[in-house]
Formats: sequence, C-alpha cells, structure tokens
Amino acid sequence: MTEGIQNVSKPQIKVENLNLWYGEKQALKNVSMNIPKNSITALIGPSGCGKSTFIRCLNRMNDLINNCKIEGKVTIESDNIYGPDVDVVDLRKSVGMVFQKPNPFPMSIYDNVAYGPRIHGANRKDLDGIVEQALHSAAIWDEVSDRLKSPALSLSGGQQQRLCIARTLAVKPKIILFDEPTSALDPISTLRIEDLTMNLKKDYTIVIVTHNMQQAARISDYTGFFLMGELIEFGQTKQIFQNPREKSTEDYITGRFG
Amino acid sequence: MELNADVKESDHKATRVQGGLNFRLNAKTSEKIAFAFLGLSVLIVVGFVLVILAYIVYNGYNAINIGFLTEMPRLMMTQGGIYPAIVGTLYLIIGSMTVALPVGVMVAIYLNEYAGETRTTWLIEMAINNLAGTPSVVFGLFGLALFVKYFGFGPSLLSSSLTLSLLILPVIIRATEEALLTVPKEYRESSLALGVSKWQTIRHVVLPAAIPGIVTGSVLSIGRVAGETAPILFTGVAYFLPRLPDSVYSQFMALPYHLFVLATAGTNIAKTRSIQYGTALVLLIIVLGLNLVAVLIRRHYRKKLKV
Repeated sequence: MTEGIQNVSKPQIKVENLNLWYGEKQALKNVSMNIPKNSITALIGPSGCGKSTFIRCLNRMNDLINNCKIEGKVTIESDNIYGPDVDVVDLRKSVGMVFQKPNPFPMSIYDNVAYGPRIHGANRKDLDGIVEQALHSAAIWDEVSDRLKSPALSLSGGQQQRLCIARTLAVKPKIILFDEPTSALDPISTLRIEDLTMNLKKDYTIVIVTHNMQQAARISDYTGFFLMGELIEFGQTKQIFQNPREKSTEDYITGRFG
Repeated sequence: MELNADVKESDHKATRVQGGLNFRLNAKTSEKIAFAFLGLSVLIVVGFVLVILAYIVYNGYNAINIGFLTEMPRLMMTQGGIYPAIVGTLYLIIGSMTVALPVGVMVAIYLNEYAGETRTTWLIEMAINNLAGTPSVVFGLFGLALFVKYFGFGPSLLSSSLTLSLLILPVIIRATEEALLTVPKEYRESSLALGVSKWQTIRHVVLPAAIPGIVTGSVLSIGRVAGETAPILFTGVAYFLPRLPDSVYSQFMALPYHLFVLATAGTNIAKTRSIQYGTALVLLIIVLGLNLVAVLIRRHYRKKLKV
C-alpha cells in the first residue's frame, strides 16, 4: 500500500494516521491516504467498513455527530482541515458532497441550483449563468431547460441525483465527494452518473464511495479497500483489481465475502 | 341401525366443520365488533360537535345582523350589539400572537436545532410540558401579580395579551418542535454540505419546510386565546365598556367574558338570551374562520413544497 501512496507525486488530499471513534467504538484505525488532483478515487469495502465515515471526514460532516472523536491529520492543499482556525463553512464550499439518496430541496429546479450561490452572495445578474452552467456540467440541462421553475421533486430519481450534482457544482468546489451516489438508482441512471463523474474529473478531484466493485473498476483511477475500519490496500485501480497484494482484498474483489 | 350410524358420523363431521367455521367467524366477528366500537366513538364525537354547533346556530342566527356586529351594547346590555367585545377579542389574538409566535418559534428552534441532549435541555422541556398543563386560572393570577401589579401595566389589553401569550407559548413551542422534527435530516445535511451555515440552513431550508406545522399549532392557540376567560378576568377584561380600547393600557371587552356576564350576572338573563347565543355564534365563527385561514395557508405552503 505504501507504493500506492508514493506513486502520487502531488496529493491534493493528504490523510495521515486518521483515527475516529463513535463513542467507545473505533470506526477508523490509522488510515493514511494520498489522493491526487483531477482523479477519481474509489473507496470499496463491505458495509460498516468505515468507507462512508472516512469520506465524511474530508468535509467534516462527522462534526454533526455527537460524541464523535477524531485524531490525525487531513491536509487539503496544505491546509490542515482540522486545524484550530479552520472555518468549516468555507471548507465545505470547496469540498462538495453528493449523497446516497437523491435529496433535492422542496423548491424549483432553478432554486435548487441557485441555492448555494445565492447564499454565498452571488450577483443576481450572474445567477442565471451559474445555474445554466452547473446544469450543463451535470448533463441535465437538456432535460430541464424548459421547466426550470417546476418542482425538483417532480424529476425522476436519476434526474434528481444529477440535479444534486449540479447543485454541488454551482458552489464551485475543488473536490467532490460522492457517497454511494448510484445505489438508489436504476442501471441506466447509474451509467449516466458514471459518465458524468468521468467528465468531471478534468476539473475536479473526485472521491467516490461505492459498494459496487464493477463501478469502482469502470470509473476510478485509484482504489482503496477498507475492512473493519482499516485501509487494507490503496493503489492504482488496475493494480488493485488485477494484482491485489493483500489476501483479503483479493477475497473481497473475487466475491468471497462482503 | 346403519342409517343411524351414518347420521351420527355426519353429525360428528358437521360439528367439526362448524367448529372450524366458528373459529373463522370469530375473527370476522371481532373485526366487526372492533369496527363498530371505533365507528361509534367517532360518531359520538362528531355527533356532539354537530349538535352543539346546530344548537348555537339555531338559537343565535336570529340575533346576528349588521347592527349586532357594529353597535355598542345598550340598555344594560339587553339591547344593541357586541362590537367592543368582537374588537377586544381580535386585539387579544393579535396582541398575544405578536408576542408568543416569534418567541415560541425561536425557543423551539433553539431546543431542536442548537441545544444538545443535556440535563438543562431536559429540564427546560419538562418545564414547558408542565406549563402546558397548568390551569389557565393560575396564569390569570400570575398575570395579575406580574404584569398588572409588578410591571404596573394595570388591568389592560397589554397585561391580558401578555398573560395569554404565556398561556399559549407551550402550545406554539410544542407545535414548532414537532414541525421541525418532521423536516428530513437530509435537507439539513445537503445544505450544510454546500458550505451553508447552520443558521442559513435553518432560515432557508428548515423553517420553510416546517411552516405548515407551525401554522397549525398557532391556530390551535388562537382558538384558546379567543376562548379563554380566566386569564383575562384578572388582568383587564371589562364587565361593560361601551367604547373601544384607545391604547394598550385600556381595559376592553371580550366575547367569552361578555357571554359569561350575560348568562350569569346580567340584569335580565331571559331578555338577553338571543344576544348570548349570538355572541357564542360570533365567537365560533371567528375561531372557525381563523381555522379556515390556517388550512388555506397550510395548503398553499404544502403545494409550494411538494410536487
């Protein structure tokens, strides 16, 4: 696994000895990982292995959970995001997140995308442009351009998820975290989201949690395998899937458990 | 003999079958009995409401005309209208809601969104629950001591409105808390994940989604404000005052107390019979009308929020 880290010359996200406890229970054990810029990093592993917990450390969503204790260091572009003078709100502006269940706000399609920029003080004149661009980038503009004022909840599940991606893009993050973004979607919607993530990596750094190994193999450049809160193996996706170093990685990938 | 034996056997079978049937019938019967009791309970409740409504409407509608709604009471309240009582009740609603609604909603937001599950929070919640169960006459005495005497507002619209706002505060806090709880946590998470602060999230996502529930709770409390007598009895309502209150420090008339006065302490109870029913009817119409407004507001917001 150390080789995987050394392969990465200039990591955008650098995680060092991350430990996390929910009360007494340790959910992450000494996780270290370097995530390079403009790449897709997939995190795989069985349910409860800590992959979602890990991704939520990168935008400090775990702060919302009571008695969650975190030790270690997460550096994003040379800033320690757990440092004392870090503004969590600013951090989350540059590290966006798309959730498992499509969760647009009960507002119009337009207002959903405009929500972030509006609150962050975007000029009213620029708003239309921002919204259109975000919807374009999320590959949903053609489907909704003629009904921007209709409720977001009237869209299909797959469309809602792309709308949520547009909503995230509108805030102009540098990194986007996807937490099992397609597990509630049908195969066709899933494919569209996968295509979309591959297009997005030229502008963004993407970390995606998935329990679908084919998905990880299809879209990611790097893969990390988690088991019981530990990062068992991390490296280039090709290497992980074709030539895993660890026995448990091989067992998981070949479907012997999980 | 053979025949007999046959009969016996089939008898036996029949009993067995019947036994089986009985068992099934029992499930069906118990279903029917349960349904009958549940339905009956509903009928009783609805029936009583309808009977009361019909009785008041039947006895009161004759009294209601433009004069009744817009004139001062005359001749020891045996003639004329109930205009000052209507205005007084409306003022009470406006006054107490102006205080209780913002304070109650803010308390609920604090308790639900900011306060952790600490001992202090638990104590506050307990206090609110107890406040909700306190008899209204106790609120009246408290208002008399605090607002009328200690703050020196005197018996006035202000004292009464403040007393009533204390009375409905727990109702509004509870309703708002319930409404906030129904807002999915996904809304909060995805807003926070966009780099939106907690307060902005509450202000722009959580509160709008909670408004239908908050409105419902508020209207329930409007019904109480319009109907309560004990809290205003000590703090400012007038027995008879043939003019409108000219400031928040004035005394005032109110519908429920006017009704009480006419029915118990009036000089000529029989003569004012139709005025009494008319007053009750007006009070009912005000409360039902406000309920209707609440339903419309709720529907408007639901439409806006949902598909």
